[in-house]
Amino acid sequence: MITKKILLSFPKVATGKPMAMELIKTYNLDFSILKALIDDNIKGTLLLEIRGEANDLNAGIVFLRENQIGVKEVQSMVVVDEKKCISCGACTAVCAVNALEMDENWSLIHHEDKCLECMLCVKACPMRAIHAVM
Amino acid sequence: MAKTYQEINEKIAKGEAVVVTAEEVIDIVKKRGVKEAADYVDVVTTATFGPMCSSGAFLNFGHSDPPIRMAEITLNGVVASGGLAAVDTYLGATQPSNDRGIEYGGAHVINDLIAGKEVHLVAKSPGTDCYPRKEIDTWVTLADLNEAYLFNPRNCYQNYNAAINTSSKRIYTYMGILQPNMGNITYSTAGELSPLLNDPLLKTIGMGTRIFLGGAQGYVSWMGTQFNTACERDEKGYPTTPGATLALIGNMKEMNPAYIRGAVYEKYGTSMFVGVGIPIPILNEEMMSFVSVENKDLHTNVLDYSVSKGGHPTLKKVSYAELRSGSVDINGKIIKTSPMSSLKVAREIALELNHWIKKGKFFLQEPIQTFPIGNALKGLEIKEGESR
Ligand code: SF4
Ligand code: SF4
Repeated sequence: MITKKILLSFPKVATGKPMAMELIKTYNLDFSILKALIDDNIKGTLLLEIRGEANDLNAGIVFLRENQIGVKEVQSMVVVDEKKCISCGACTAVCAVNALEMDENWSLIHHEDKCLECMLCVKACPMRAIHAVM
Repeated sequence: MAKTYQEINEKIAKGEAVVVTAEEVIDIVKKRGVKEAADYVDVVTTATFGPMCSSGAFLNFGHSDPPIRMAEITLNGVVASGGLAAVDTYLGATQPSNDRGIEYGGAHVINDLIAGKEVHLVAKSPGTDCYPRKEIDTWVTLADLNEAYLFNPRNCYQNYNAAINTSSKRIYTYMGILQPNMGNITYSTAGELSPLLNDPLLKTIGMGTRIFLGGAQGYVSWMGTQFNTACERDEKGYPTTPGATLALIGNMKEMNPAYIRGAVYEKYGTSMFVGVGIPIPILNEEMMSFVSVENKDLHTNVLDYSVSKGGHPTLKKVSYAELRSGSVDINGKIIKTSPMSSLKVAREIALELNHWIKKGKFFLQEPIQTFPIGNALKGLEIKEGESR
C-alpha cells in the first residue's frame, strides 16, 4: 500500500464525470481531497491524497489521463521558484522540520518529502519565490 | 613593506595585482603570516547582499511639451516625492504601492526600471504660468530618463544584532518571522566577508571610495545615517554592536537587476536587497591583519524583538561562527539560527569585483575624506507642547 499526493487539473468537459466513484470501484483506491478549486467553470484543480497498491495507483492515473484530466504528482504543498530565490535563508527560519535548509555553500535546498504543509515559508520569503502548489 | 594606492593601481593596470576575497585571504594569512601576506596580496574584495531599507533613487524624467511641474507623482502606483524641481523625484525603496501595498513597492519599481521594463508614470500639478500642464500619464523606461541614480542614505551596516522572540506570540519583523518562546534566531550579515567588518576603523573606506553597487561602479558618497563609530568594540577594534554605515551612490543605467531586488517582509513592509562590494587595499600589515578576521572572532548580540520599550533587551553575545553553525544555546535551550542576507550572492559579488580588478576594469580610489571615529548616536526625544 502506498500513498501519493496528486494534483489534478480538469477541463470543463471532464468535470462532471463520476471520476471518484470510478477510482474507488475499479481501482480499489482510497482518497481524500486536500484542496479543491473551481475556476469559473473554465478549469478545476483538485489536490488529492490517494492510497492503494502501486499497480492500482498507476492504472488509476492512466484512467484519469485518458479522461483528459491532467495529473501531476506532488510531494510538497509548496514550490520554490529557483529563478526568484536568492538563497537569503528567511524561509528556513520558519520551517520547523528543515524541509527548507541551507546547504554547505549557503544555497537553499528544498527537501520536498519532509514538508508538513504549514505554509509559513510562503509568507516568510521576501522574494515571494515560494508558492503553494494550488 | 607598505604600498600606496597609486602603486596598487599601477599593478592593476599591468594586470599584476594579486586580488583575493575576504574569505580566501584567511587561509593565505594562516599559511604565510601577516607580514608576508601583506606583501603578497594587493587587494581584498568584500561584499554583502542583504535587505537595506534606507535606499532609493533620484530620477529625472525630462520635460514634456507643454511642460509640467510634477507635484503628485506615482510610478506603477508607488508615490514618489514631489518635493524637488519640476521633473526630478526621489523614489524611496520602502514606499508601498497604492494598489498592491507592500507586495509591490518602491524597491520593485527600481528593480523593474533596472530590468529595462516600462513603468507607468502618472503625475499631477496645480499648473503654473511657466509649467501650464496639469496632468501627465505615460510610460517610461530607464533609457528614457535623463538621470537615474541610486542614492542610499544608509547601507552596509558594519555589524547588526541577531533577533529572537521571548513572547508567546509569533512576531513579524524586518528580521523575518520570529517564532514564539525563543523558537528561532535570525541574523543578517556577510560576517567575515562583510565590507565594514574588514576595515573596522574605516582606514580605507571613506567618502569617494569606489565600490561595486548593484553591478555598477559606484561610490561611497557620505557617512551613512545612524553612523555610530562610538559603538562597543572588542580589543582589536571590531564593532560588536551596530557600528558605521555608508551612504552610497551609483548609476542605475549600469546596474544589473540581479543585484538590486525588491523584498517583502510580511506584516512589516517593502525593502530592497542591495548588492555591494568594496575593495580593501592592503596598504600595510595593519590592513592585512584587519581583513584576516574570521567569523569566530566577530560578535553580535541576540536581542529580544518582542520587547520594544527601552530598546530590545540583550539575551546573549554570540560569534558569527556560532550563528553560522545552525544553532545557538541560550540558557540550555538549543535554538535554530537562520540567515536573512544572502551569503551566496555576496560571494558572487566579491568574485565579480575581484574579476573586474584583475581585468583592469576597476581601479581603487583613495577616500577624499575619511569618516570620524567616535561619532555617537542620538535618540529622538519627545518634547511636550504644541507650539514653541
Ligand atoms: S526566503 Fe525565498 S529567496 Fe530566501 S532562500 Fe527562501 S525561497 Fe529563497
Ligand atoms: S510549508 Fe512549512 S513545512 Fe513545508 S517547507 Fe514551508 S515552512 Fe517547511
